[in-house]
Amino acid sequence: MHTASRHVRSGPFRFLYILQPQSPLWTTRFLFLRRLGTPVSGLLLQCSMLQECAPTSIFSPIPGSDIAQHTPKYSAKMTVVGVGNVGMACAQTMLSENLLNELALVDVQEDKLRGEMLDLQHSAAFLPRIKIVADTDYRITSDSDICIITAGARQQEGESRLDLLDRNIGLFRKIIPELVRHSPNTILLIVANPVDILAYASWQLSGLPPNRVIGTGTNLDSSRLRFLIADKFDVSAQNVHGFIAGEHGDTSVLLWSILTVANVPVLNLCDKNGDKYNKETLAEFHKGVVNSAYEVIKLKGYTSWAIGYSVASLVKSLLRDQRSVHPVSVLANAFYGIDQKVYLSLPSKLGRAGVLGIANLPITDDEREELQHSAKTIWDTLEKLKI
Amino acid sequence: MEAIATNADPGRALRGLSKTGIPSCTFVNLRSSSAKRLACRYTKNINALSCRNCLQALAMSADMERAKPRPMFSQIPDSDLPSTVKTSFKITVVGVGNVGMACAQTCLTEDLVDELALVDIQADKLRGEMLDLQHAAAFLPRVKIVADCSYAVSAGSDICIVTAGARQREGETRLSLLDRNLSLFKSIIPELVRHSPDTILLIVSNPVDILTHLSWKLSGLPPNRVIGTGTNLDSSRLRFLIADKFDVNAHNIHGYMVGEHGDSSVPLWSSLTVANVPVLNLYDKNGVKYTKETLKEFHEAVVGSAYQVIKLKGYTSWAIGYSTASLVKSLLRDQRRIHPVSVRAKGFYGIEHDVYLSLPSQLGRAGVLGVANLPLEEDEMQELQQSAKAIWETQNKLHF
Repeated sequence: MHTASRHVRSGPFRFLYILQPQSPLWTTRFLFLRRLGTPVSGLLLQCSMLQECAPTSIFSPIPGSDIAQHTPKYSAKMTVVGVGNVGMACAQTMLSENLLNELALVDVQEDKLRGEMLDLQHSAAFLPRIKIVADTDYRITSDSDICIITAGARQQEGESRLDLLDRNIGLFRKIIPELVRHSPNTILLIVANPVDILAYASWQLSGLPPNRVIGTGTNLDSSRLRFLIADKFDVSAQNVHGFIAGEHGDTSVLLWSILTVANVPVLNLCDKNGDKYNKETLAEFHKGVVNSAYEVIKLKGYTSWAIGYSVASLVKSLLRDQRSVHPVSVLANAFYGIDQKVYLSLPSKLGRAGVLGIANLPITDDEREELQHSAKTIWDTLEKLKI
Repeated sequence: MEAIATNADPGRALRGLSKTGIPSCTFVNLRSSSAKRLACRYTKNINALSCRNCLQALAMSADMERAKPRPMFSQIPDSDLPSTVKTSFKITVVGVGNVGMACAQTCLTEDLVDELALVDIQADKLRGEMLDLQHAAAFLPRVKIVADCSYAVSAGSDICIVTAGARQREGETRLSLLDRNLSLFKSIIPELVRHSPDTILLIVSNPVDILTHLSWKLSGLPPNRVIGTGTNLDSSRLRFLIADKFDVNAHNIHGYMVGEHGDSSVPLWSSLTVANVPVLNLYDKNGVKYTKETLKEFHEAVVGSAYQVIKLKGYTSWAIGYSTASLVKSLLRDQRRIHPVSVRAKGFYGIEHDVYLSLPSQLGRAGVLGVANLPLEEDEMQELQQSAKAIWETQNKLHF
């Protein structure tokens, strides 16, 4: 017989079962609304010596505990704005990587939002305990450590990223101030495209310091590049190190001079004809990367899995203060000779406080010029928008 | 009787009982002085060398014969459980819709596979999904991801996950999907088995119990290697709801829902525990003990939960993805964990019909190693048999 009573095992009271008074605090909760620290039910102590007793809780706190007063110092909470394919891929990958204690989902479509929340909650038995909430009201996002914005129209077939702009800027004017109002200490992570311009807009709209407004930028492009190069040289993608910087789009800059395969600079390697690799012979890789998103969109309508992993890797570096270097969209003026105040991707060290610094890499003059050109392209578009 | 490990006596191996039940021992170290020449009790062969291990095995088998306890797990009849295990893992996912991709991506995230093959009939969507996963390569351990409309890419798979088929529309029951999925499976299953004769089939498409039975018939595989995801997810949903009510982690709720993955599923309340306390021993706020009637709302919530998610977002994906990945992990990594999955149920719990339905089963590298013999209450047993009957009746209307 299972008895969860406290039983004095010896002495004159060993035949007396000690009873716990039923807790007066009790609330009924079901499905998605939860409150912590509310003991619910009681237990019957079955024994032949006693009548029906007052039920007890399953768990009893140790006397002298300060459970009600103690607030945990660290609780990782993340908000995902937009529960489309990208937003849900980000949310689900984050859950799998056990990065969070609380996840808030916000969107305008109520049904879809609630359905996604329930679907994630149903995975609870396979995941560590996490609180998942969803609402169209930004109230639920309060005190988020990171807010991921994936909301916005997605690229249609043949549409370039810049064409999305008008549709998305208006949306951000509603989203960003609300997020910051409820979570003034948050880090904003922008995924929606065109990410560089939207990250700049978010920075302007939020009033946050620039280390706390980041765009996913070329993090995924760089990983796509590493995959292609790894495939060519038959090594693991994790042994290919390099960055794509600049605009997340057509004018991105592949930093050839610092790209290495198994720690050997790729420009020092020779192909099967004995010719050294150079930018021209490797140009196909850059094109492959730039086109890859368009290709996937053309085939399946959108991209989701890769960007989900990419965002999860950024969130891990941020929340867990990893100090790892990622090419993300940051405020780039005063670096690499860029004069304009624009957001574009540069290799940046990420930690709990956001962007801890930009790497000063020994790139060639050509590459610096290409970065400046990329900056100018973005600047031209920003001027037209008058943000 | 399992093969006995002889770590204590290296150099000697015991292969265990042969098919006829006569112990056969392999005497390896001929130079050992402890070798004895004895007459084997069973073969009466005086010249057969025997070793201490064999004698021990004989003694143990005699003890076991005497004790004759009811085994914890019983093999499904006609199973073939091999002894060797491969180390490089390949899985095939048939159908790259929401469920198939959720399964694929979760298996990748949990680092379960070395090779992943995707098969579907829509070539563009298929290729797009493959590329999207490949682009995540830098964030994952090295995995080979291939995709094709032809089943040749699935050759040599350890597990084939079949998610292909029509999905439930709003308000549609799982059984009404049947007609649409029947002919589809006739084109899928034989092809899969042709390219991977040693595979384990894991069926996700609904109605899972009937489609798993169909897959078993079409594949010609022994029943331990054809499994349906069954009520694995239902059980986890039930555990989530109970966990939410009692404010405990879902990992500390242990219990199964068995039977049909659908409206006639059976929650085994008598063996469901919260922090190891039977739920039927617990009290609600009014001081009233929980009974199966008062807990019914949980069961109804679980049965309704899939319909609810489908109504809201059009389909379910994330939860079934995690559920499938947990099954794949138990199978590929030989975890010997117990999951309520759809298995061939004839002969268990008084079920006479030859149907597939969910029972708590031990899963390992060879598939279903055995079905747990839980002590069920009388009414639970009856509900389970009724569930079997409901499936049987529907099954009979079809012509395989």
